[in-house]
Amino acid sequence: MTEVHTVCREGEIPRGGRNIVDVAGRSIGIFNVEGRFFALKNVCPHQGARLCEGTLKGVTALDADDRPVLEREGEVIRCPWHGWEFDIASGRSLFNPERLRVKTYPVTIEEEVVKFAETYPVSVEDGMVTVHI
Amino acid sequence: MSTLGFSETMQKEPSDTPQSKPEPLVKGGRRVIDCDVHNIPAREEDILPYLPPFYRRRGVRLLNRHEYPHPESALRKDSAPADGGPIGSSLPLLQEQLLDKYEMDYAVLTGEWSSMGLLPDVDYAAALALAYNDYVIEHWLPLDRRLLGSIRVAAQDPAQAAEEIRRIGSHSQIVQVYMISATAMPLGQRFYHPIFEAARDMGLPIALHPGWDGMGISHAPTPVGYPGSYFEWHSLWAVGLMSQLCSLVCEGVFEKFPGLKFVFLEGGVSWVPHLMWRMDKDWKGLRSNHPLVKRLPSEYIVENARFSTQPVDEPPESGDLIHIFRMIQAEKTVVFSSDYPHWDFDDPFHALPRLEPELANRIFYENARELYNLPENPPLKTELDQGHD
Repeated sequence: MTEVHTVCREGEIPRGGRNIVDVAGRSIGIFNVEGRFFALKNVCPHQGARLCEGTLKGVTALDADDRPVLEREGEVIRCPWHGWEFDIASGRSLFNPERLRVKTYPVTIEEEVVKFAETYPVSVEDGMVTVHI
Repeated sequence: MSTLGFSETMQKEPSDTPQSKPEPLVKGGRRVIDCDVHNIPAREEDILPYLPPFYRRRGVRLLNRHEYPHPESALRKDSAPADGGPIGSSLPLLQEQLLDKYEMDYAVLTGEWSSMGLLPDVDYAAALALAYNDYVIEHWLPLDRRLLGSIRVAAQDPAQAAEEIRRIGSHSQIVQVYMISATAMPLGQRFYHPIFEAARDMGLPIALHPGWDGMGISHAPTPVGYPGSYFEWHSLWAVGLMSQLCSLVCEGVFEKFPGLKFVFLEGGVSWVPHLMWRMDKDWKGLRSNHPLVKRLPSEYIVENARFSTQPVDEPPESGDLIHIFRMIQAEKTVVFSSDYPHWDFDDPFHALPRLEPELANRIFYENARELYNLPENPPLKTELDQGHD
């Protein structure tokens, strides 16, 4: 059964920003990538580092002359320990996307739907960010 | 299940357990000695009082390794101290993220600024090494009894290095000599033997640490020249360690200094079986040229060389690493190291595959305890609180 947890106001996470929250015994990173919100478990599947505290990156591609170019800037999280990279939207690793992934959770923005009214007052301007576990 | 590399056994669906970490491969309760921990002075000024006035005016002028910058940072991003100091400069953070978190009995400080060992100005290098040692003895070792110190030496002048080893080698928390593994000549050559004599006399092993291959007075980091990137260069660090171990055996260092141990840090272990077998094979036909090499090279290696795990090799089948442990008699030769707070830090509870408890105890604890001649019982918590006597 899916649990829905309200975690913060939409405006609290600017574009390119992230919040790390504790939800249902889990540490979860909520990312705003160009206005789209994603949630990743804050545990690297390699050695257990706090993945979501890593650096935001892009994907390095090759141009026509086989020289490196940066694409999709801000869409990749890089583990603060060993530098393993994961696509924030899918949770898939860049080096082995089929077999190595970090858990993702659906995120929705619901205006005027407030799960914890006492901590997060209603705001029409700011939607609420909820994560589904 | 393996979490090492990508094997057929790797999980297909990502884990959603509420635990803050994946299930540890190693359960708690294990005793751990970490043989490679990089602390750093918070600021250059901390060292200056220990430099003679002549060099104090020069300050700390080291190599910069701009040839091989790590594309992001060679340091753990989550280890930045709150006070804005450099990563590795905060003892409270080191205690929190390493000593306390993994309930370590001891951590061997190996420090930073190792490139002093490759400066062409040998007198300045020796003065820097001495100052660095006095700084660690006064600013780190007294604050936590779990910390063990290394004598930094600038091997480019063996006479001064030997003098430094004799000067502070009897300090109760000093457990080894430490030098950068890149040198101007193969390490087994007679030029360096004064260092080995001093270490033997003080009862200390000598640790070799890569990280500056190709810089300063050392040679190109590979026989084919300069690799093109940090990745390529970093992947080949074992080349230098192999060269040094081969030299130590062939020059008869382990016959001349039979009790002296060398610790090969930050090279992993998978290169060791090749060197053992190749040298044993060559020795059978070529030994007449090397009367000082009286036994199979692999016998000297098992007796006199120790290898630290980090960066631990992660074969697709993690069990293959256990086979390599068997090949090199890891129950005698392998010690654990984390390399905290560098980017390729190994978590002692997650980095290695599941091991038989007896072998695990040797690798994580007993081999290092014997190597450094540490008491069977670690300092009590109350002693820790009281600090150094």
